[in-house]
Formats: sequence, C-alpha cells, structure tokens
Amino acid sequence: MGSRGLVLASVITASSLAMAGCGSKGEEQIEGAASSGRLAIGASLSLTGQLAREGLLTKEGYQLCQDKVNAKGGVDIGGKKARLDIQYQDDTSKPDVAAQLVDQFNDQGVKLILSSYGSANTEAQAAVVERNGQVMADSAGADNKIFSKGYERTFAVLSPATEYASSIVKAIAELATPKPRTIAFLSADDGFSKTVTQGGIKTAEGLGFTVLDSQFFPSGATDVSSALTRVKGKNPDVIIGSVHLVEGVAIIKQARELEVTPAAFGETVAPPTPDFAKSLGAQAENVLGSSQWTHVTAGQDKYFGTAKDYARDIQAKFGHAPEYHNAEATAACLSFALAAEKAGSSDADKVRDALSGLDTESFFGRIKFDATGQNIFKPMSVIQIQNGKAVTVWPKESAEAKMIWPGTKQ
Amino acid sequence: MSAFLQATVYGLLQGGLLALVAVGFSLVWGVMNVVNLAHGAFVILGAYIGWGMHQEFGLDPFLGMFVSAAVLFALGYVTQRLLINLVVNGPIFITLLLTFGLELVMVQGMNLAFSADFRSIETSYAGESLALGSVRVPVGRLLAFALAVAITFLLVALVTRTRTGMSIMATGMDRGAARLMGIRARHVYALTFGIATALAGMAGAMIGTVGTFSPAAAGSFTLMSFVVAVLGGLGNMYGALAGGLVIGLVQAWGGQYLPGTWVNALAFLVLIIVLVVRPTGLVGKAFYAARLEV
Amino acid sequence: MTTSTQVPQQGVTGAMHRDQAMRLLPWMVGVLAVLGALALQSQLFLGQQRTVAAIFMFVSLAQAWNLIGGFTGYACFGQVVFFGIGGYFTAIAISHWHLSFWVSLLLSGVVAALFATLIGLPLLRLKGHYFAIATLGVAEGMREVVTNLPDLTGGGAGITIPTVGPDATTAYLGNEGFYVLFLALAALSVLVGGLVARSKFGYALRAIHQDEDAAAAVGINTTRMKVLAFALSGFITGLVGATYAFQQVTIFPQRLFDVNITVLMVIMVVIGGSGTVLGPLLGAVTLQFLSEFLRQNFTDLHIFILGAIIIVAVILLPQGAVNYVREARRTGEFSLLANVRKYRL
Repeated sequence: MGSRGLVLASVITASSLAMAGCGSKGEEQIEGAASSGRLAIGASLSLTGQLAREGLLTKEGYQLCQDKVNAKGGVDIGGKKARLDIQYQDDTSKPDVAAQLVDQFNDQGVKLILSSYGSANTEAQAAVVERNGQVMADSAGADNKIFSKGYERTFAVLSPATEYASSIVKAIAELATPKPRTIAFLSADDGFSKTVTQGGIKTAEGLGFTVLDSQFFPSGATDVSSALTRVKGKNPDVIIGSVHLVEGVAIIKQARELEVTPAAFGETVAPPTPDFAKSLGAQAENVLGSSQWTHVTAGQDKYFGTAKDYARDIQAKFGHAPEYHNAEATAACLSFALAAEKAGSSDADKVRDALSGLDTESFFGRIKFDATGQNIFKPMSVIQIQNGKAVTVWPKESAEAKMIWPGTKQ
Repeated sequence: MSAFLQATVYGLLQGGLLALVAVGFSLVWGVMNVVNLAHGAFVILGAYIGWGMHQEFGLDPFLGMFVSAAVLFALGYVTQRLLINLVVNGPIFITLLLTFGLELVMVQGMNLAFSADFRSIETSYAGESLALGSVRVPVGRLLAFALAVAITFLLVALVTRTRTGMSIMATGMDRGAARLMGIRARHVYALTFGIATALAGMAGAMIGTVGTFSPAAAGSFTLMSFVVAVLGGLGNMYGALAGGLVIGLVQAWGGQYLPGTWVNALAFLVLIIVLVVRPTGLVGKAFYAARLEV
Repeated sequence: MTTSTQVPQQGVTGAMHRDQAMRLLPWMVGVLAVLGALALQSQLFLGQQRTVAAIFMFVSLAQAWNLIGGFTGYACFGQVVFFGIGGYFTAIAISHWHLSFWVSLLLSGVVAALFATLIGLPLLRLKGHYFAIATLGVAEGMREVVTNLPDLTGGGAGITIPTVGPDATTAYLGNEGFYVLFLALAALSVLVGGLVARSKFGYALRAIHQDEDAAAAVGINTTRMKVLAFALSGFITGLVGATYAFQQVTIFPQRLFDVNITVLMVIMVVIGGSGTVLGPLLGAVTLQFLSEFLRQNFTDLHIFILGAIIIVAVILLPQGAVNYVREARRTGEFSLLANVRKYRL
C-alpha cells in the first residue's frame, strides 16, 4: 500500500483512539451528592442477550425504587435531601462487559453500584468493586461462591443459593403427609445451579431423606430426556430441579412424555415466573417452587409499605404482577437509600460501613448481612402452582394456602 | 434395554426436527455460497408467527406453521432479492458479515416487538405420548418428525422433478452457464433463499410446540444448523436429514451412557471424526463439493 | 543519440533513496502509532483505558485470524479455541501450579501453537467450508470438555486466578498495566502480519490461497506452510487469551470459548479487508470502537443500530475498506454506487 494511504490509515487509527478517550479527565466527574442534591448510583443491566428478560425485571425494580424514594423528596443525607439518580448501562449479559461498566462508572466518580443480573456477572463485578473501593448492593447474584473470596464491599440482599432447593426440602419435610422418602436432584451444570444442588442435598440428608444420584445436564438444555430416563427406573418420591426457566419447563414436559411420575416436582427459579404456568398449562399444577419474595412476605418499610403495597405499585407502573426479580432489585436499591441515610453521607466507605451494620425490616423481609455480606436472615418462600397461580405454602406464617400433596395424580 | 430403545426413539425424533431446521441452511450455503448467520433468527421468527396465530386465532400450530412458511418465504425472497444479491459477487464470507448484521437487527427487533419472555405453544395433544411396549413416543415430537421427513422428501422431489427445482440446481452448479440458458439467476437465488427461510419458519413453529423459545435462542439454532448441514454434506437434502438423525442419536445415546453433560462434546467429536474420514460429509459427493446435489 | 540511451545518474540514486524511504515508512508509521497510543494513555481514565485495551485485544485477534483466514484462505471458524486454551492454561498454571503470570503467558502461547499443529495436521486437509466447520467443532467441543473437568478447570462455575493474598504469584497489573500489555500484543500481531506479508512465507501462503495445486506444483510444501501459519496464528491468539484471563480474574468456559468472538474476528477482518495488513487493524478498531460508543450512548437500541450500520457498510464496501481504497486509487473510480453495481448479482 502506498505511503500516503498508510499515513492516512494511521491518522484515522490514532484519531479514533483519541475519540475513544474523548470526554477525558475532568469532564465527567460528578460532584458529591450532598452538595448537588443527587445521589448517583450506577447500574449495569442485561438489557440484551441471554438474560434480557430478567435484566428488564431488574430495571423495573430499580425504577420503582427511584420513583418511590424521590416521591418523598429523596434520601435524607445529613439533613439535606438527595434525589436518587440511577444511571443504566447495558452489559449485554456478559460478565466481562459488566465488569468493564463498573470501571467506567468509577471513572465518572460513581461509587455506589447496583449489581447486574445473575451470579456470573455479579462475581465479575464484585472483583472490580473491591479493587476500586466502590461498594455494591447485590440484587441477583446468589451464589455463595461470590462471598467466599473475602470481599468486603459487596452486600447481597437476597438469600444465598444454598437456600433455593433447601427451602423446598424443608417445606416438604414440614408439610408433606405422608412424608416421602427419596429425593432425586436434576441439575444444570452452571455454578449457581450446582451450588443450589449441593445445598439441597445437604439439607435433605440432614432431614433424613434418601438422596439418589444427582443427574446433570448442560445449562440451557431444552432436552433433559436422558436425565429423566435414568432417574425413572429408581422411582424417586420427589424430583427437584436446580434449573432456570428453559430446563424447568423441559423437565415437566418431558417427564409427562416419558411417564415419570414422582409424588411431586419442585424446581428453583422457574415456577414463580408467569411464563412457567403459561407454557405448561395444566401440567404445571402442584409443582413446587422457591422464591426470594412473594406478595405475602412479612415486613414493611417507610418507602414501600408491605409486600402487598409493593405488588400493587408494580402492577400500576408496569402493568404486570411483580416477580421476585423486581422485588430483589428494589430491595438492593432500598438498602443503599437506608445505608446512605444511616451514614449521613454518600461516601463509599461510610455507606459500606452502614450497610454492614444494617438491620431492618422491609417489604422484602429482613435485610441484614452476615460477615461475608450475605443475607442469611431472610427465609425464602416456597410456592405451589394451584389453579395456574403461584400461591405461597411455606413458611407457615405467610402461607396463603395448604400445600397439596401428593402433587401428581398417581 | 428399554432405556436404550427409549433413547433411540427420542434421538430419532429430535434428529428429524434438527434436520428440518438445518436443511434450509444447507440449501442456501450449498447453492449460493451464502453463509446465513441469521438462519436461527428466521427459525425463531417462524416460532413467533406460529405462536401469534395460536394466540389470536386459536390456530393449531401444525396448521399455523404453513402461515409461518408463507410469511417467511416472502420475507426471505425479498431479503435475498433486495439485500443479499447486492454482495453475492463479493469476496468469500462477505455474506457472513451481511447476515451477521441482519441477525443483530432481527433478534433485537424481535426482542423489542415480543419482549424477551419465553414462549411456548400449547396444544392439548402434544404432551400425550403413545406407548410402544415399554417405550413412550410423544405425540408432538412424532408429528414434528413425520412432517420433517415428509418435507425433506418433498423438497427433493421439488428440486429434481420441477423446472423451478432444476433451475435451482443448475444455478447452483454453474451460475454463468445457467444464465446463458435463460435462467434468471437473481430470481432463482431469491427463490432458493425464500424456500430456505420458509422451511426454517416451519421448523420454528414446530419447535414452539415441543419446547420454549425466546429471541436469545436464535444463535444456538444457527450453530446447530452449521453442524448438521456440514455433517451431512452441504447442499445435499438427504445429507441434512442424515446429519440431523446422526446428531440426534448421538446426543440421545450419549445422554444415556455418559454423564449427562458430555452430550454436546460427543456430538462435536462425531462431527470432527466424520469430517476427517469423509471430508465432504456423510452423504456429500466430492465432485460437486459445495454445490447442490441430491 | 548516445546521451538518450544513458540513464541519468542522479535519477537512479534519487529513485533508490525514495524506494528505501518508502520501504521504511510503514515501520516508522507503526512506531509512531504505538508511541501515540502510549501518550494517549495519560489522557484516559482507568475505565477508558480498559475500553481501549479491549480495542487492542481485538486488533491482535483479527491480525492473528488474518494469518490463516486472510492470507492462506483457510477460514477458521474455531479460532476462539486458541483464545480459550491460552486463557485456561494460564488460569490453571497460576492457580494449580503456582507459576508466575509471565511464564504462564509464554507457555500458553506455546501450548496453543502446539494444539494448532496437532489439529492442523488432520484438519488442514479439508477444504473451505468443511475446514471452517471442523474447526468450529473443535472449539465447541473444547468448551464442552473444559466444562466437564471441574476439578481442573472449575467447570461451568468458572476458575479464579488468585490476585491477592498468599496464592497470588504475580501482582495484578491493573487497568494501566493491561493497557500496555494489550498494546504490546497488538503491536506484535501487526508486526508479525507485516513481516509475514513481505516475506517468502507470505508469498507461499498467498500462492496456496490462490491455487493450492499450482503452489504445490511450483514446489511449495503446502502442508508445512499451512500448519506453520496455523500455529503462528494460534500462538498469538493464545497469548491474547492468557492476558485476557488474567485481566478478567474469573473466567468461564462459555465466555472463553464463545463462538461470537470468532465471528467478531472474521467480521473485523472482512470489513477491513481480508488478506491485507492494515485491513484487520482498521476493521478491529472501527468495529470495537463503534459498538462501545453505541452501547454507551444508545443504551436501548445499540445492537439494532450496530446491525443496521454493518448492513449498510457491507452493501457499500463488499470488498472491505482497504481493498476498496486500493481499487479506487488504481481505477480512479471512487463512486460508492459504482462499487455496489460491481459486486451485485
């Protein structure tokens, strides 16, 4: 190529690199909240990609939080009101982009971070948050693994992954008569689902159940027939799926096709979502599921009232019944508001200290963090699909209906 | 033994559906040298049309799939005629780039239009299963399999016995010579692409009945089409069927006798071994490598 | 009469000096570009440095792919396997075997190159589409294998490189360090591309691309050349993967062996101009910068807009940017519409 072309090319390269650095130092610093009346929070969301659905629900949760808090004039920080200003960026469902966004927020001086959706993204973000001295409220990354690394600046409002299947097991142990004897776990092979399965097995063995060999399949699998065929011969009383929506629907559908009929099915994540009952129709009846939150969860706070109030607000603002992804997102945002108020400052270290000492009731349940940053003080709820609707059956204090047992017609 | 038979039945049924998903992709790559990265997006679009027909008009998805086919045929024809034909003479893989852009637009478009919620098409009979001895044969999947095989044979018949089909084959073998014979290459290309997308749409509607779908699933269908089409032999209709059945069986048997998470690795291993041993795929013929043949 | 047949002395020397200058010019421009990028670093926030480092990363990936896909004409759809192998080897070497990052980096490149040689020998016998899909099968298969060896690789849950505490063998480089490292890798890849393009090796590869049988007839050991190109391409990609793994700290098989990374590499090379040295560089910088810019400023519609821009760009410049400029300068025909007419059916 000619010399002129080469020079032209390198000029283009250099100038586009310069443009990538456009808006360089000094232009985008955001002033401290107290002086400008704004509390800036950065949220990296999965608006596109595999997690787009849950990412949108998370965004709705943050938006409602911002509306409700600002409707009261904002957060009271050291006597002055600061309005919440949540800035959104799309991480395209990839952990490396989610981590990059945390760095970008840091450039702009935004130190308070609301997590992305899912354990992989949150894990990537937690590492960066720790390095940069920011502080993160985790709304949707439940894997205990994230909190075993000694991070001190990430706080999860949701119950840890080990509780997802364990709560179903506990509910069965408490409410099912006659009590079943054998449980089989069918699990996706991603980190979160495996942690869920491990937690479930531990609880089940502790409560005296016989746990059959667990079957694993690739995450996102639409065909779980091999796992079901293998388990069929052993006739488990209960089948528990550590899954997400796609595998969850596949298990129920294919179990019917293959005539695998335990006394009950329990699944994580999938049953509380409306798509589950819609996709399966009558086959979804009596499937158990665990949820971080339902509209009868006990507790209330000054911004959102009770869980029922929250459900009404989501319905009014977004036109659909709330899912727990909405609620956990709002709870994370709420923690920031409460922590900033408690600390009387928006400084990252002070907010961090306030969060670690937070202990409050809310529409989401109890928000309090243990030494690793996980919320082990809020129980999960167990729901059951009855007449196409998810109703809470456990814990007994918030149960809306009795658990139907056995779940499948024998 | 019954587990083996059950796995075999499931594998065949799944394989037939995979074949239908991949046959259009193979056709387009084999005849026109167009690598259609948006193929999975067309499949999902077909699924949405089938779902929409079911929602609005209560139309059974196995009838709704003809609506999908019609709509997607039109869409595919227009796309090829007005868009892809513009770059066909370019360097290799430029069509890959164009269809990459097209895929981004389509998947995001569906995300915006239909939201990322997972959908599924409910039928009263799809969940039932027939009993063949100790083996269960799900009705929905059986129907999808039967249709997939029938359509493959129909396609072969179309290509070998009709003038249109012959012109597609001719254009695939030698575009210049075909044009000299009076074949309108632009129209034939558009027709081929239209047929491919129509088949993708049909497959999509059927997939809607056996599982859940969302815009994000498009990529995995494209990937699957790559594997099945090449395994069978590009441009070869029977090849797509063979490739689909082989993959379906390998995954089903693998799932039974290996830990469940190894099924995909096994499928790819089979692909590589087949290609090393038979470089033009299971059924592909060497002379017309990468051209349409039956 | 005799004077007109004599070549003027000054003209020859002048021409020779001009030639030498022209040959050195690309290298000088390259050095300037690297210095410019280093100077740019002081102007960027840490987060922005990370963004620009990603651009550098794609430059090296595109350049590496170009070696086997552009020059040699063997489009490898499984290129990401070297990226993943480099990344996972480094992660395992640091976590399990307590090697330093720098040692792991070099070893990762070597391991990736060896793997390329291993699969290249059987697979480079395949032609065109079949080679592409066979390598895709290798990449996808490798991802599945990594997912299924949780004791070694952490499986689907990922593996974390220790960067703090007693297990950390090398201090974390930070956004600044990775900026420089990725820049070095990008410069290396462009350098290798440039050297290969101008060498006998490069000519052999281009000959293989144009007509492999004729090349063999002329005496080129096509198998050796192809495998060498593949191994070189794998080496660079492995180095990049290793650096990426260290930067991300926690890596997952779905990301390190993501087929979309290969697709991006191919697209950057094709849009820039396949088989040239400048093409992959321009393609990578433009596409990565564009997608970052759109994502930050058009959060809701960025993918839609990116797709539309790509479609328009491909229709207007089907031969890639660099080749378009070359042809246009040679024929004097700059009209884009004429360009479209040239390539359509």
